[in-house]
Amino acid sequence: MSQKPPFEHSQFAHCESGVVSTLLSAYGLKISEPMAFGLTSALTFVYLPFVKVNNLPLIAYRSLPKSIINTISKVLHVKMERKNYPNPRAANEDLKNLVTKENKMVGLQTSVFYLPYFPKDMRFHFNAHNLLVYGVDGEDYLISDPVFEEAVRCSEAELSKARFAKGVFAPKGFLYYPKTIPQNIDFTPIIKKAIVKNAKAMLTPFPFAGIKGMRRLAKKIESLENSEANSRYIKNYLTHIVRMQEEIGTGGGGFRFLYAAFLEEAQKYELNKAILEEASKLIIHSGNTLREFALYCVEGSRKIEKLDTKKIAAKLIEASEYEEKAFRLLKKL
Amino acid sequence: MNTTISVPKEENSTLDGIQKVMYAKNDQGEFDRYRYGSSVEEFATKIAIEEYELLKQECLEHIKQGISSPIEYFMYENRMDLPTLSCAVGMFQFRVKRHLRMHIFQKMSDGLLTKYADAFNIILQDLKDFR
Repeated sequence: MSQKPPFEHSQFAHCESGVVSTLLSAYGLKISEPMAFGLTSALTFVYLPFVKVNNLPLIAYRSLPKSIINTISKVLHVKMERKNYPNPRAANEDLKNLVTKENKMVGLQTSVFYLPYFPKDMRFHFNAHNLLVYGVDGEDYLISDPVFEEAVRCSEAELSKARFAKGVFAPKGFLYYPKTIPQNIDFTPIIKKAIVKNAKAMLTPFPFAGIKGMRRLAKKIESLENSEANSRYIKNYLTHIVRMQEEIGTGGGGFRFLYAAFLEEAQKYELNKAILEEASKLIIHSGNTLREFALYCVEGSRKIEKLDTKKIAAKLIEASEYEEKAFRLLKKL
Repeated sequence: MNTTISVPKEENSTLDGIQKVMYAKNDQGEFDRYRYGSSVEEFATKIAIEEYELLKQECLEHIKQGISSPIEYFMYENRMDLPTLSCAVGMFQFRVKRHLRMHIFQKMSDGLLTKYADAFNIILQDLKDFR
């Protein structure tokens, strides 16, 4: 039997980058969460008014689910085993084999709603939550879930439900782990490419993404006041934005701070330090501004009669300005 | 430029005692992970949960009036919307939408109802007897 990979459960700001960080580190490639996030150009902003979730528009502050897993293997040339399964029986058989016989640690995609160890209030139908399975004990799987302070456990039946939840981003039992990891990776050009790619994505002319997307959402918020929308809808709308910003995996403009941490770490490589430093500051500033924006959204829904949509929209525009400056700088890296 | 990241230490009852982490700088100016609690997040989560409660209450009224079916109630109970439920039972949305109406519900076969009961993780009788 091969040696179990050295592994330590840690808590992370974001599930997918956290899982990728722990997984690669356990298989011998030490990589921090900010690095996993930054190398995969995962920072974004998307506002799609025509795609509805619970009758509210789709808003995202980070890239699509699974994109960190897919992109990291592409940019680092890590061979990832990626599997879907037709049914829970096949999925569990394979998972048990991998974890007990081959002593592997594997990543899984799950739905938060069916994971019993999550607090009731956190359980929504979000199908792209990532976690790690590192062992079996009796009927339970031993799990390292990046949202939790300690390792947790979950029965096979309940984990199967979570892995085979239906709907948008249905996981279909998705399981992954690295097969081969290249030696002596030269990070400098990879980091540079990832940053420039992220900058281009944030500065895209596509009106529903990046800086433009932020401004479009700001406009929409401003128009809420004069629309026929009732106060219940406005309340749901504003808190929905906050939940997409803060709740799904991370906190308080958390993705911005995560990216800023990546830009700091990138300074250890031979890249233009001045640009990275300045951009990191701007992104932190944007993160702080987004946090104020979230606070305004919540205050506005708390006292709907005092709602000032202009003030809320202006905050979002302010954040978009810092991000524009930051990414214009980074594009020239 | 405001480049200090403050770590909120507020109460967040929706997390049931756990704390999430975020990135902020330590005294040496390096990034590190910190546990935090945010009342802003708490409020946003509570509104989302309250909305389902409201929808449930309204639905109970509609069931009494013979407009809505128990399926609609359990849809909200399971924090689902129409697209989520339609994926969960593997039927088209327009069909599921019909099943949310009481007079259609009353004509549904046990086989069909079982699909819903499974999606809601309840037994068939609970769905049929719901008042």
